[in-house]
Amino acid sequence: MAEQADQLNQDDQTDNEITPSRDKVVVIENLTKKFGEFTAVENLSMTVERGRILGFIGPNGAGKTTTIKILVGLAKPTEGRAIIAGVDCVAEAHRIKKLVGYMPDRFGGYSNMRVREYLDFFGAAFKIPSKERKARIQEVLEITRAVYMQDRYVEALSHGMQQRVGIARTLLHDPEVLIFDEPANGLDPEARIEMRDLILRLADLGKTLIVTSHILPELARICDQIGIISAGKLRAFGTMNEINAQLGQMRMVEIQLNGNADLDRAQEIVKRELTLAEIAGSRTEQLIRFRANITEDSMQDLLNTLITEKIAISQFREVQTDLEDAFLTVTKEDRAKMV
Amino acid sequence: MFNNPIVHRELIGMMRTKKAVAIQVMLVMMFALLLVLRWPAETSDLSGISSMQVFKLFSYGILTAMIFLVPVFPATSVIRERIQGTLALLLNSPMRPIDIYIGKLAGVMIFVFQLLVLSIPSLVACYVMGGIELKGQVLPLYGILILAALQYSTMGLMISCITNSVDGALKMTYGIVLLLSVIVLGPHLFLQATPGMLADVASWIRCISPIPAVMDVVGHGDVGSQGIDSNVDSISRYVILSLSSLVVFVAIPLIRLNQRILDRSRSQGALTHQMSGLIQTLRMVFFLGMDPKKRAPNIPAYLNPVLIKEFRSRRFGRAHWIVRMMVGCLLLSLALIYITTQYTNQWGVETIGGIMVVMQVSLVVLITPSLAAGLISSELEFDSWRLLQMTPLTSFRIITGKILSVAVTIGLIVLASLPGYAVLAAIDNTLTTQIWQVCVCLLMTCILVLSISALISSLFRVTATATIVSFSVIIIIFAGTFLFWMGKGAPFSVDVVETALLFNPLATALTIMNMPGFDPAEFTRLAPSEVWSSSTEDLWSGFRVPLEAIGFTRISLVVSFNWIMTGAISMFCLMLLFFRVRLLTKPQ
Repeated sequence: MAEQADQLNQDDQTDNEITPSRDKVVVIENLTKKFGEFTAVENLSMTVERGRILGFIGPNGAGKTTTIKILVGLAKPTEGRAIIAGVDCVAEAHRIKKLVGYMPDRFGGYSNMRVREYLDFFGAAFKIPSKERKARIQEVLEITRAVYMQDRYVEALSHGMQQRVGIARTLLHDPEVLIFDEPANGLDPEARIEMRDLILRLADLGKTLIVTSHILPELARICDQIGIISAGKLRAFGTMNEINAQLGQMRMVEIQLNGNADLDRAQEIVKRELTLAEIAGSRTEQLIRFRANITEDSMQDLLNTLITEKIAISQFREVQTDLEDAFLTVTKEDRAKMV
Repeated sequence: MFNNPIVHRELIGMMRTKKAVAIQVMLVMMFALLLVLRWPAETSDLSGISSMQVFKLFSYGILTAMIFLVPVFPATSVIRERIQGTLALLLNSPMRPIDIYIGKLAGVMIFVFQLLVLSIPSLVACYVMGGIELKGQVLPLYGILILAALQYSTMGLMISCITNSVDGALKMTYGIVLLLSVIVLGPHLFLQATPGMLADVASWIRCISPIPAVMDVVGHGDVGSQGIDSNVDSISRYVILSLSSLVVFVAIPLIRLNQRILDRSRSQGALTHQMSGLIQTLRMVFFLGMDPKKRAPNIPAYLNPVLIKEFRSRRFGRAHWIVRMMVGCLLLSLALIYITTQYTNQWGVETIGGIMVVMQVSLVVLITPSLAAGLISSELEFDSWRLLQMTPLTSFRIITGKILSVAVTIGLIVLASLPGYAVLAAIDNTLTTQIWQVCVCLLMTCILVLSISALISSLFRVTATATIVSFSVIIIIFAGTFLFWMGKGAPFSVDVVETALLFNPLATALTIMNMPGFDPAEFTRLAPSEVWSSSTEDLWSGFRVPLEAIGFTRISLVVSFNWIMTGAISMFCLMLLFFRVRLLTKPQ
């Protein structure tokens, strides 16, 4: 652990010195994968910097797993290239194995083997010398807080336990990049929080992570960058704010009234003042909720108009859009195109 | 019963599978082929001999298919539902466990009836040719076949209720099938001429198998009795014994098939060092230092990690199980040695040697596919193949590790069963050459079965399917080719029979041991012959000196065509396996 802390410090130091191009650990350029007529991934480009966590999301069949398979050297792209730590994922697939730790969506356990034996096998497969391997197994079990399950049979572990052993396995050969396919899938809330903490700890250790998940709020809380893929195309990429900008996310505003008397009139004013996408009024909540492409100035103008028109307002607030909204925007657009 | 929804689902589900279609097509084609071969061309052939020959082949063929293919469906039925979670839904429905059981059994039995119905046109054609009795032969044959189907189906369902994995269920099923149909014949072969109760017990044990009953029906009751007229009614005995076994086979699943089958705690993985000192000592003595609950050491760098992984992940692959299996084989071999020395005068060394070969080949044929058929398919089925691909292990290292893990196990078991031959050689030292040649046959059997099963394993993504296909292919090679031998003279010429037997190392071993029906003078391609010889003087000094030092003046190379054939098939299978594994490990 101390070694890794030193490594982390060194990484911090070198981060300031290295050129921006060297800092990009994962580089994907114009990646395309076709299966006959079907295009699974189309012209996908993105980069991930050292020590960052990339959340890679998209609906089922969007091309996430295909992209990951290309990154870990299990699939060949039809066009384009993917580079991890300066190594081409296709031309030097054998070197990629040492640079990447991959946890697939299915655990892939062996029956009748205890956790320690299971990790020992993968350690031996990665040619870690026997003495070093013993210490390394202990270390990864500590990182994943799985020491107590080291003598249990792999097939007798719960799903959450298996996920932790899976991560321990990916850490054995100390790879630079970790790729987790649906790590939080099927986990209970407590195990999900543990998984989130574990991913953050790994990022602190200097690992670069690519994580796919369907549990978007979880992902939004831990990821530095988000990539949204749909129908094989990268629809948005960057930080949460950048994603909102790229998707032209509409802002959602709520106006809380002091009663229902002004509700209809207030709705009319909002409709008159703004070009709206959606507006809804709730008599139960005494509330108007609307989505629109508006600037700070036009919001201020609207508020002034409402006050001038003597509408009794108790609150005027913007509701923060989140990853789910971004995801739904993309999927809605794609569905609309298909129709 | 026909209102039972499980009957509909099981039957329709089964009929939709490719293997059900394949079984039906193969059976119909086999029957048609037999008839075409033996249908009398002229009126002078209407003596009934031809129809009897077809009837015999038909009886043994359908019995073999029934014994080895029918239990496969019920053996995977309950365990598959348990793993997929649908058994919990069934047990939570208003259906009683007995309804579920009857539904599953009826589904299989209706399928069996359908297979038997498919055979009726061919049998009627035989009957029309004459020479076969309806009451004395046809009806008893169908009775035995139905009883055997019921016995083996209930056995399969029982196993399905007590095992924890689909491939485990299949392996256990084939083990019990082999025990109940072939191995039980063994004691009687040795003890039939001896006085006393032991011979009677062995005679009853023999009748657990449906084979003697079918032999009685087709008039082969005395085959293998060495001229001893035992006057035993094998059919009645089989009916009594199979009905008795049915009680056990039905009772166990009915006891097991309830909510408790799903109520099992997970193993906490306790180790010996966490137990009390007394228990630690007792375990050390009991397991002879190979305590399975002792923490395993790290895999040494000089060993292929895949080899060790295969042993560790195998239920019976741990050291203590290997030792137990070896001790079992050693005890079997010692028992054979005792019998060999005891009955040599009555039986002749060759016959005892032949029986030993049959037993050993049965052991290899049973164990090897059950180990090798899951080598690649289990990795593909449980998605661990992707993890192997992500390691720096080469495809060659993966496949050698896997093949060695099976070869070592089989090698140890076969070696443990060899001492019997040493006794045979000591009793009759003229047999030394034959015994060496039989050992080569055993080696070729191991290589052939291993390479075929391993190749099949790489072609399927489900271990259960790979296991079934492996066993089917191996049974066709080792039992199916004997159907040609049974029709030697008519309908098949000696040449055709010998060609068929060229694929079967067991037939070569029996020919080498000069067993009745396997005359080396008749089967010249099976019997090893000298293909090259040389005086030691003509050899390079590096070879000559050590050979002359141990007393050789001339050396020769003796080869059977069977060895060449099985060697070529094995080589072909291994090459295909290697290419297939390379393909699987490459990025797609």
